[in-house]
Formats: sequence, C-alpha cells, structure tokens
Amino acid sequence: MTIKDFLATDHSKCDGIFAKMEEIAVKSLADAKPLCEEFIANTERHFQMEEKIMFLEFEIKTGMTQGPTLMMRQEHIQMRALMNNMLDAIEQNNKDKFFGYSETLMILLQQHNMKEEQMLYPMAQQHLSEDSNRIIEMMNSLVVE
Amino acid sequence: MELNGLSIDQAPPISAPVRFFLTAPIFGLIAGIIILFSDSSALMNRYSLESIAITHSITIGFLGFIMLGALTQMLPVLVGAKMPKVVFVAKYSFLLLTLGLIFMILSLLKHNDIYIYISMLSLGGGFFMMLGSMAIALKRVNNYTPTVKAIVTSIFFASTIIAMGLFLLYSYSGENISQYQIIVANIHSVWAIFGFGGILIIGVAFQVLPMFYVAPKFKSFCKKRVVWLISTGLVLWLILSIFQEEYTLFAKAWIALFFWAFATTVWLKLNKRRRPITDVTVWYWRNASIFLTLGAFLWIFDEYFKHEYIVMVGILIGGGFIMSIMIGMLYKVVPFLVWFHLNGMGYMTIPTMNEMINKNLSKLQFILFVISIVGFIFSFYSPIVLKISALSFCISMILLEYNIISPILIYKKTLKSKPDFDMSLFSQKD
Repeated sequence: MTIKDFLATDHSKCDGIFAKMEEIAVKSLADAKPLCEEFIANTERHFQMEEKIMFLEFEIKTGMTQGPTLMMRQEHIQMRALMNNMLDAIEQNNKDKFFGYSETLMILLQQHNMKEEQMLYPMAQQHLSEDSNRIIEMMNSLVVE
Repeated sequence: MELNGLSIDQAPPISAPVRFFLTAPIFGLIAGIIILFSDSSALMNRYSLESIAITHSITIGFLGFIMLGALTQMLPVLVGAKMPKVVFVAKYSFLLLTLGLIFMILSLLKHNDIYIYISMLSLGGGFFMMLGSMAIALKRVNNYTPTVKAIVTSIFFASTIIAMGLFLLYSYSGENISQYQIIVANIHSVWAIFGFGGILIIGVAFQVLPMFYVAPKFKSFCKKRVVWLISTGLVLWLILSIFQEEYTLFAKAWIALFFWAFATTVWLKLNKRRRPITDVTVWYWRNASIFLTLGAFLWIFDEYFKHEYIVMVGILIGGGFIMSIMIGMLYKVVPFLVWFHLNGMGYMTIPTMNEMINKNLSKLQFILFVISIVGFIFSFYSPIVLKISALSFCISMILLEYNIISPILIYKKTLKSKPDFDMSLFSQKD
C-alpha cells in the first residue's frame, strides 16, 4: 500500500463517520454525541499521523518546512477549533449552530483533503517511496496524545 | 517536480473570484430588463440582435463570469499550480471583460460599429489574459485527474468559441456578414453550451458531488471516458454540420445521450448521498438535472421541427441547467470563502457559513428563478407570460445579488471592527 492510498482511505473513513453523525444529529443532537466524539477522535488521529510522522519525514527529506505541510498544519488548527465548536453546540443543544459548524467544517475538510490527495500525497509518495512501508507502519502504531 | 505547487499564498485573495461573482447577477438583471422591454416575437428568433444581446449578457456576464471567478479559486486547489500573476490577471481581465460585454450589448442594441470594435478588443484581451494564465497553470500539472482533464478540454472549447465569437461580432460591423455566419454561429453556440459549460460542470461534479454531499463516487468508466466521448461527439457533429448536414442528428443524439446520462446520474447520486442536509444548493442540483434532461431531449426533437424549438432548448439548458448549477455553487462558495479568509486571518468569533445568507431569501430566490424559467418556456405559447417571467427573473437576480453580497458585507465589517483579533490558535503547540 502506498502512503497516498493509506491516508486517502483514512479520509473516506472519517467522511463516513461524519455523514452518520449528521444523519443522527438531524433527529437528536444528544444522540449524535458519541459519533461526534468518534469522528473527532479519528480525525485527530489522522492529523497526528500526518503531523508527527508523515509531514516530519517529508520535511526532513525535502527540507521544505515552510511549504505545503505548514499550510496543512494551519488548516488542521482551523479544523480542530471547528470540531470543538461542534461539541459545544451539542452541549448547548443548539442545532442551528451545530449544522453551521458542521457545514463549514465539511467544506474546509474536503478542500483540505483534496489538496492533500491531489498534490501533497503524490509528492510525499515520490520522495518517500523507499520508506513507504516503514512510514505506514509507524502511522499505524501511533499513540494519539 | 513542482515543489512549490502548494504554498501558503497559493489561494488568490478573496477579491479575485468575488468581483466576478458579484457582477454576475447584475448582468443577469440586465438580460432580464432587456427581455422585459423587448418584443416577444423578436425573442423567438435566435438570430435577432435582442436575442444575441440577452444570450451574451447571460452566457458571458453571468455564466462565464461565475465560471472564470470559480476557476481562479479552484485551479490552485484542484490542480496545485498557481495561475501566474493571478491578482493582476483577475483584476484586469475582469475590467476588460466587463467593458467588452457592456459595449457588445450596446453595439447590438444600438447598431454602432465603433462599439463593436471596442468590445472585440476588450473581450478578446480579457479572455486571452484569463485563459492564457489558466493554460500556463494547467501546463504545470503533474497529476492529471479526470477533473483536470475536463478543465483542460473545456478551456480548449472555450478558446475556439471565443475565436468564433469574435469573428461573429466582427461580422455585425459594416457589411461584413459572411456566408459562414449561420454555420459558425451554430458551432459557436453548441460548443459553448456542451463543450465549455457542459464539460466543465461534469468535470467539477466528479469532485464536488461525492465530496460536499458524501454521495457515491462516479464510476471509473464515467470519469475516464465521458469527457472524451462527449468531445468526440462534438467534433463529429461539427464535421457532419459542415459536410453532411442531414446526418447531424446522429451526433446530436450521441451528445444528448451522455448529458441525459449525466443528469440522471446526478439525480441518483443525490438520492444516495449520505449527508441528510437538504438546502437550496441540493434543490439547484436537482433542478439542473430536470432541465438538462428536458433540454437534451428537446434538442433532438427540434431536428424534426426545423429548429423551431432551438430557443427553448437554449432556455432549458443555458438557463435551467447551467445557471442553476452556477447559482447553487455561489450559495456554497461565497460564504465559505468569507469564512475561510477571515478565519485564516485569525478572526474566530465570526458567523458560520450557514448564518451568512438568509435561508428564506435564498429559497424565495430559487422559487422566483424556477418560475421565470418555466414562464419563459410557456411564453412561446402565450406571449403575455413573457413579461411576468422577465419580472420574476429580474427580482430573482436582485435577490441573488443581495444574498451573496451579505457575506461580503460581513467580511468588510469584520475587517473594519476587528472584533477578536486572536492569533493564539495558530501558534504551534509543540
């Protein structure tokens, strides 16, 4: 498996949980809380797999620390804030706010994923192809902080 | 390999796409006003000068402006290569295109040759700058996805229709009507609708539908072959139109079949989407599917009625299909851009995307728009409906302008009042 396939598959997994969460949230926000937490946990894990392993390897190999990975890290921060806002909206049982944040997150997330899948992952695969298995293994065994 | 493909300053400033977006409904309104004050019999003829002025106010001023604005924003995300001099190009091509289009409309309505020459120079220059910059960006692409291929194909068709358009415009000056006028006009319009607009929408839909609505992905056959198959159909249609006109029906059926398949696929994918949210953008996608299906079939049947219904086909496909997609996209893109740019600057307590546009007003805008398109169709049988439809269209354009300017006003207000300038979230934790 390539780094690109591994991380892109993980994107789809998170999308699936997100869709399920919204489906339940339409009926009841409280019932959607466990799925929201599951989505956040999975997304956080994905972010950390990138930030602590793949991005680092990429930055060391290419020497580019101010390029694409910096932009992706910044978007991760924006998304983390939105995910916290979603949890707050669930606590306040405010559906309008919740869907406002979830819609914003969805578009931010998708254009972010697109940039990664179209550009960063193919670039990473090209530069890190020799270490591909090792990097995937490290990402698989990551302990989320 | 282009390592700088993805950089911090990659997204163009918000003004680059937004100036195109905010101008589009104004040209829509201009088209509506010309319809309102035109004689219905003149509008039944696709070659009347009023019809041409209205058509181009919509196709260049509304559809073209939204497509070009969206491409300046989307190319860096989809393609990863920056358009060279994007700020300069977006600004000056916008000025040239706006000036050129105003003079084109005036020249057709006032029969003024000087206006024609001004409009030719401005439109030609504006399109050349914009498409040239896009072509350079596309040339740098390494990862040729189906969406990128569709964009490249649509830009090829755009270049040919612009060249044909300039030729046609020139022919209206002096006594320059050429013997090729009708055939060139026919190719210009068919390639514009299906080759440029249609292929661009299909290519972008491959990405957008599965992403934003978590709908099932398009089949690999569809993504790999459809653009190629439609392009072949369009070239075949061109050859038959010139040499064997009696057989053009086959090529038309070929092209229409794929567009009908696309319309059906969009409808089914929306049914199977995993996001439960139904907003006005979903309504617009569904609306586009219905009108595209009707338009594609009527385009074929029109062959049996000596092209009596060609204006109706134009309304169904240009108005019902392409305009619907463009308006739906504006409702998502404008609030997102405002949120994204403000949030990226460190403003955290800003309204969410959903709070930036009044939902009831966007629904009202949708209803008035649909009423106007259906009304335009019925105007063929009852001319009195035309005025009411034109009025409904004008109001829907004013509402659209109001709806998309609202997020921009939030943007301006936030920059002015600086409510909670806070960069702490962006400081790295580790």
